Amino acid sequence: MNPILARKGETVLLMGNEAIARGALESGICMAAAYPGTPSTEIVETLSEVAKDLKIWVEWSVNEKVAFETAYAAAISGVKSLTAMKHVGLNVAADILMSSAYAGVKAGFVVVSADDPGHHSSQNEQDNRWYGFISHIPVVEPSSPREAYYYTKESFKLSEKYGHPIILRTTTRISHTRQPVTLDEDLPESPVCKGVFEKAIDRWVLVPGHARKLKMKLLEVWRKIQYDTGEPFAKIINPGMKDVIIASGIAYSHVEEALRILGLESKVTVLKINMPVPVPRKPVEEVLRNAERVLVVEELDPVVEKQVKSISSELGFGCKIYGKEYVPENDELSLQVVYNGLCRFFDKCDPSIWESVGDLKIEPTIPPRPPVLCPGCPHRSSYYIVKTALNKAGIRNVIFTGDIGCYTLGFQKPFETQMTSFEMGGAIGVAHGLSKVVDEAIVAVVGDSTFYHAGIPGVINLVFNKGRAIPLILDNSITAMTGHQPHPGTGVTAVGEPTARIMPEDVLKAVGFETYLINPLKVKESINTLGKALEEFKSGKNIAIISRARCALEVLRDARKTKTVLPVYKVDPEKCTGCMACVNLSACPALVVDPDSRKPVIIEDLCAGCGLCASICPFKAISTANTPSQDWEKLW
Amino acid sequence: MSRRFNLVLTGVGGQGLITLGRLIGEACIRAGLNVTVAEVHGMSQRGGSVIVHVRIGEGDSPVIPVGGAHHIIAMEVLEAGRSVRYANKDTVMVVNDLILPPPLAKYPGKKDVIEALKSKLGRVYLYDAEGVSKRIMGTPISSNIALLGFSLGVNPALEDLIGKTDVEKAIEAIFKGKALELNMKVFEEAFKEGKASVGG
Repeated sequence: MNPILARKGETVLLMGNEAIARGALESGICMAAAYPGTPSTEIVETLSEVAKDLKIWVEWSVNEKVAFETAYAAAISGVKSLTAMKHVGLNVAADILMSSAYAGVKAGFVVVSADDPGHHSSQNEQDNRWYGFISHIPVVEPSSPREAYYYTKESFKLSEKYGHPIILRTTTRISHTRQPVTLDEDLPESPVCKGVFEKAIDRWVLVPGHARKLKMKLLEVWRKIQYDTGEPFAKIINPGMKDVIIASGIAYSHVEEALRILGLESKVTVLKINMPVPVPRKPVEEVLRNAERVLVVEELDPVVEKQVKSISSELGFGCKIYGKEYVPENDELSLQVVYNGLCRFFDKCDPSIWESVGDLKIEPTIPPRPPVLCPGCPHRSSYYIVKTALNKAGIRNVIFTGDIGCYTLGFQKPFETQMTSFEMGGAIGVAHGLSKVVDEAIVAVVGDSTFYHAGIPGVINLVFNKGRAIPLILDNSITAMTGHQPHPGTGVTAVGEPTARIMPEDVLKAVGFETYLINPLKVKESINTLGKALEEFKSGKNIAIISRARCALEVLRDARKTKTVLPVYKVDPEKCTGCMACVNLSACPALVVDPDSRKPVIIEDLCAGCGLCASICPFKAISTANTPSQDWEKLW
Repeated sequence: MSRRFNLVLTGVGGQGLITLGRLIGEACIRAGLNVTVAEVHGMSQRGGSVIVHVRIGEGDSPVIPVGGAHHIIAMEVLEAGRSVRYANKDTVMVVNDLILPPPLAKYPGKKDVIEALKSKLGRVYLYDAEGVSKRIMGTPISSNIALLGFSLGVNPALEDLIGKTDVEKAIEAIFKGKALELNMKVFEEAFKEGKASVGG
């Protein structure tokens, strides 16, 4: 059974994101909508796995704004709902976020913002707690995966109490950490799934006249939350000490352990904060009253620190308040980082603790292992094909603008087919703008899911405003980067039901592009097709290229399931001259150079049988090593 | 000072590290222990460096300090070399006898890395986990389970914490049918080989 469906009293190992999903289900949600984005993805992924059994609506929307609107619509009709996104996803949904605070909700509504301090898989590490101030929406922040479960439920309660949206902010280290969670409730027998939309024009229609009144109400709610909220969003541990630590979210977990190591648990008052915005006033005032020195420990920006300083100054307290002097403002916190800050603050450092043996001294040094396109990834072939075709057509110094997805890895050698990467859908808008100011040809590289997410307005603008760029849609028919979620081109919904399939070529044709479809597994044929396409481009036409083959990881999975034998390639050492064209042009991880023979060999366990290396080899030294199933190509 | 047992799992994306972390987490629940299993991986699903921090004992802070590991399981030789910063002189390290060089890169040889590791750490075990997995499963897919079995065999501190039966119960919870039976065999075999290699 899915652990997310376990009974009350059971202890299950849940990832922070799964814990949020379980907490939301226990709270009685009947709707969840999201766009996948690391580190938030597993929340709605988990819900999608159990949605049919529980008869709730779960969807992958085309982007975060649409996801937010979908879930919010349920909440204004009295159906509890959740939307989830990564920090930068909330930027996409920021417009409706602001309005939702004015109009409020009729049933519990939680917006999960999964932030990524240390930018493990993001273009920045913005601290989304600030959104709480801009929107006047409280931000709840758990200190552990276990607390993610608990505070999801508390967020729903708070949302219901005030008829207000709540932001539940996690960070990567909570979202992607697993911990035993003891479940304290069963799932509700039948959550409320039918709502009523009340035609309250003065509430839902935010014309200035209505919004002015709603703003007054909003500020009233905001103040109430600030002054009325204490436990469970703030907890004073070991009160009455002159040294005080205020710690928010996961920072508390590091502080708790660091104090134990330093042996200071009984000498310091700790205020654990689980609502950093707005910080609960009363407990903060209480700890400040007797304090001499205060250290605020929080991840990223000084959000709590600024509020604490402001409260202290407002009330004329004499204590000294520190924060970012001891705890860095960039990167994620860890026990080690917090320990280092605390031991300086208390002047109690033990240099021998965690004595590392240091890095290995070895020649050649251990090379970095940056993420690379998987063996057999069709993007690798697409890049080779497009670059070869451009070269053949005499189009040089091409600018490739890029986007967000697996294919972003094309920025690396030997491809260098992503020269920009800013945000979802950005490739096409940036290409358009560049085309107005530079002379070189421009190719805008965008994945299928990203095309639906935010690429479509860009292609419309490109044609309408007479830009000159070639959209290149790398269509592997799934949202591959985040772990294979379906999208409008997949033909199935989040819960696996068949649905309409909306093809990028139809959209592009409707917009006004001559669209060329290639199969990246057929390298020579595709280069020829693109030759013709590029002649059209040179003659002034709007062309778009769609390169379509399924994600290799999905193909491998289906091959295992259906017992289909995929081709596996080998290098014939007799014919191989060691020219390294295959290695240098494909950078496939399955191709490694044998240090003895100095010739490439193919690791059989890694080869997915795409055949790109065989197409590249000028000496025909690479061929299949096995007899593949007759219909293996169908899997791609 | 209250201590947590810190276990680092490292290797290359796609080798089953996340599953191994989950399995150890499940074993800890069965052993009645608190645990945090934090997955640290970059952008790509496959082929990048992956490190999983397993911290057993009271507390919620999930990432192991540099120099703080009690035991390291490395599923690949170069990643073993990279992970040594988490080790102190008492750390026990079990390394899969496998090297996966990143594309287009110069890299040191397997022997050189292992020798360098042995010069830093008292206890480094190179183990052919693929061998036992291929022998029993027919594929290297259970190398991760083999490395855990071997680790329990060679490190009594780890075995004292999560016993062999706790791991077996966790395997039962995660796998079904034929996969369950074969993974149990891989675990058992690797555990024995671990014991044998320390003369147990």
